Amino acid sequence: MMAEQLYMFLPESCYLLMAAALFALSLPRRQSHRRIYAWALALSLLGVAGAAAALAARGEMFFTAYRVDLFSQVFKLLLAVATFLVITICGDLAGVEERYHPEFFLFLTTCTLGMMLLISAVELMTIYLSLELSSFSLYLLVPLRRGDNIDVEAGVKYLFIGVTASCVMLFGMSYIFGAVHSTYLSEIMDKLPLWIHQPAAAVGLLLTLSGFFFKLAVFPFHFWAPDVYQGAANQVTAYIATASKAAAVALLIRLTSLTAGTSLYLIDVLMVLCVASMFLGNLVAMVQSDLKRMLAYSSVAHAGYVMMGVLTMTRLGYAASVFYAMAYLVMNFAAFMVVVKVAGEGQDLKIADLAGLHRRAPLMALTLMMALFSLAGIPPTVGFTGKFMVFTAAMEDGRFWLVLVGMINATISLYYYLMVIKAAYLAEPADGQEPLAISASTRALSYALIAGMVYLGVFPQHFLGLAENAVKNIF
Amino acid sequence: MDNQFPYLSAVLLTPALGMLVILFLPHRSTRAVRWVSLASAGLCLGLTLRLYQIYDQGAAGLQFVERVPWVESLGIFWHLGVDGISLPLVLLTSIVFFTGVWTMWELSHRVKEFFALMLLMIVGVYGVFLSLDLFFLFVWYDVSLFPMYPLIAIWGSTRKEYGALKLTLYLLAGSALVLPGILYVYFQSGLFTFDLVQIAQAGLAPDVQYLGFFLFLFGFGVLAGLWPFHTWSPVGHVAAPTAVSMIHAGVLMKLGAYGVLRVGMYLCPQGLVEWSPLFALLATAGIVYGALVGLAQTDLKYVIGYSSVSHMGLVSLGLATMTAGGISGSVFQMFAHGIMTALFFSSVGHVYDRTHTKLIPEMGGMAKVMPRASFFFILAALAGIGVPCLASFWAELLVFINGYRAYPVLGVAAVLGLVVSALFMLRVVQKTFYGERNERHGQAPDMTLAMTLPRAMLAATILLFGLAPRLALDLINTATTPLAGMFR
Repeated sequence: MMAEQLYMFLPESCYLLMAAALFALSLPRRQSHRRIYAWALALSLLGVAGAAAALAARGEMFFTAYRVDLFSQVFKLLLAVATFLVITICGDLAGVEERYHPEFFLFLTTCTLGMMLLISAVELMTIYLSLELSSFSLYLLVPLRRGDNIDVEAGVKYLFIGVTASCVMLFGMSYIFGAVHSTYLSEIMDKLPLWIHQPAAAVGLLLTLSGFFFKLAVFPFHFWAPDVYQGAANQVTAYIATASKAAAVALLIRLTSLTAGTSLYLIDVLMVLCVASMFLGNLVAMVQSDLKRMLAYSSVAHAGYVMMGVLTMTRLGYAASVFYAMAYLVMNFAAFMVVVKVAGEGQDLKIADLAGLHRRAPLMALTLMMALFSLAGIPPTVGFTGKFMVFTAAMEDGRFWLVLVGMINATISLYYYLMVIKAAYLAEPADGQEPLAISASTRALSYALIAGMVYLGVFPQHFLGLAENAVKNIF
Repeated sequence: MDNQFPYLSAVLLTPALGMLVILFLPHRSTRAVRWVSLASAGLCLGLTLRLYQIYDQGAAGLQFVERVPWVESLGIFWHLGVDGISLPLVLLTSIVFFTGVWTMWELSHRVKEFFALMLLMIVGVYGVFLSLDLFFLFVWYDVSLFPMYPLIAIWGSTRKEYGALKLTLYLLAGSALVLPGILYVYFQSGLFTFDLVQIAQAGLAPDVQYLGFFLFLFGFGVLAGLWPFHTWSPVGHVAAPTAVSMIHAGVLMKLGAYGVLRVGMYLCPQGLVEWSPLFALLATAGIVYGALVGLAQTDLKYVIGYSSVSHMGLVSLGLATMTAGGISGSVFQMFAHGIMTALFFSSVGHVYDRTHTKLIPEMGGMAKVMPRASFFFILAALAGIGVPCLASFWAELLVFINGYRAYPVLGVAAVLGLVVSALFMLRVVQKTFYGERNERHGQAPDMTLAMTLPRAMLAATILLFGLAPRLALDLINTATTPLAGMFR
């Protein structure tokens, strides 16, 4: 019994251990970045191994408030991979003051831990607590940046909007509790379809969802995204843009599945948010000159694509969203890796700063191009397959217009991705710009990412199958 | 047929393999890059000629079919096959690909990237012509489009960035209609397969065909240069480097027409019946408009660009007639126009490389300066006008006869459009290649023998199919005759 419980809790235990180790490392007065980095890298790799090993774990814990199933384990593995990937690009944390480096890795770990708990939580209070654990870690991570206080502004903004979203969410939860007298999702699921036609229940669920709309930067909860993406250190932004999105997708799927598709009202609202996110994200991204801001707005648009799968509330739709989350993680991380490597001093990167990248670092330029084509949904990359899946799901649900709007948006988005590619590939480097030194490990990572984006795009069977199996459990 | 050599996969994957090899070659070894490209192009050409030879015209229908499950849960198959419509177009692709690579032999700027992207584009083109699975067809369609952006924006000329962006956005906006169309058909058919043949056999409900054909017509039509969505095409042609113009005008625009034909007309024949008046009207508008606007151009490449719009209008008009003769003429016109435009762009490319101008007023008497380049240009111009004994003559004749029968008024307008285009072509030839010799370019060298050969290949193809049109028409008819039966 004990061994079984330990096995179920293996991924979380890894990160608990990692947090404890990093905390111990942060205690001495003098620290060496290299040593902490090596520890963080090794422990996060252990975390990936743990999450992968626990993929087969099934069961319930903590008075059934905590459920371990394929759905949660797949997302935990995704989170572990994302965290590991982000740590691999922290070898030179130029954007963060050296004395904060141990804390940086520590909060990254606790944040991941919080999200892992969140994914398995099937009880409202547990969900709330786990969410806050990850949110508070992020509130601390965002302002951890060397520089001219733009980080503080971003941090404050993130904190206030985040706290507001939490309050709204709690308020929504109180409505749900009021309607069905339970905080357990399984009981809510039994009763909610009967209650969902009551305004209180529908509004309650919608308000609860807004906590995750905030995480995913869905319109109108996206206002923090551009400022935080720009203000936070590049590595932190990479983490927010990958891991935190995956967790939000998981919870959106979990919570919307509670209604079993019975609430047309909820679906309509989700559809409005989905369309508004796509248009707003894509249109505003076109006029950005800062690469991270542009990626922030593009993430708003991508939240819209994910929602398209979620709002169908069918098995195929959820599977498509899960697959899209995987795809988004890989391609967005590839884009951020290039940002981190090109901005050697940890500074912000204007799109114009990419000029001549094809000469300064051909491999980085190629990685960026593949990542952006993937984000734009050009085959044979994973971004195309992901979009194809969500569109297929939406069409299966009979939403022809939504698919058309999605495709129009994909075309709009192509414009600003092409502008970045143009800067990287067409312009010649400014005088005096040296070729970038790219380490062997970065090269290997780039090749792996490119290969991954193409492989997942061309041979999606296995991962699609995994996504389909994962969502079977939530019904 | 089971243990047959997988010709089609071989044709499709040869350029892909070539691209991978090029990617792993060092930047400096430009010779190796060129040879790898030429070798893969030559291999494709050889395979295609062999296919052409062994295709059984008596049996007709789809042949060399390969079908391997890909994502079975969604009904996606690696499904390839050729029939009388796609085989001539595959041959066209191989010829233009081979001569295009050869034409670009002297390129010196970022050689490796150029050929890698060009090969990628060709993979996409072959993919569209060979795929019988809607999913793959769409994938290849997009694969063939997006390399155009870097190809034009990096190696192009006149307003290259604008041209490249406009072209890419227009074409991908077109594909934004195609994908919903494909998914719509996928679910409405009730078969849950992307297999084009199965869906066509099962047939779709009339209202599904109505919307479906609309989406495919305008989605693919953008790439076919369907008026009024043609504006990307002259701009893109002008901006593109020689080989890219050749492939683009010669082959890529045919993908659009092929898409309308293979996806739109096969799956939604009743939709075509409903939409054919509009289709024919837009096609004729394109013929006349292209010819009239061509009259006013002073840039050689713009002239060809607008004549392409006009000629692609003929292709569309042929499809809109819904008769076996019209569709055959249309397919043959795709082939003939592809070869002809490739010859056009490849001669103009040479003139531009040597004189650094494409402006008609700055030239004159080029026939004396560059007899070879001039010969090829004039031959292409004559083919475009529809002079007998050249390939386009038969194609245009078929389209006009059937067009006139189906739509008398539009047919007459189309013929008038052709007269205008003959007028402006002859004017261009007269001003550029004859008349007073412009001494500024008096010393510009003509083509070397090695560079003459690829153009000569194109010219020979035009003559061959002009003198023996049955070489292609018999083959095409095997596919268009049963197709035309679906429109009753």
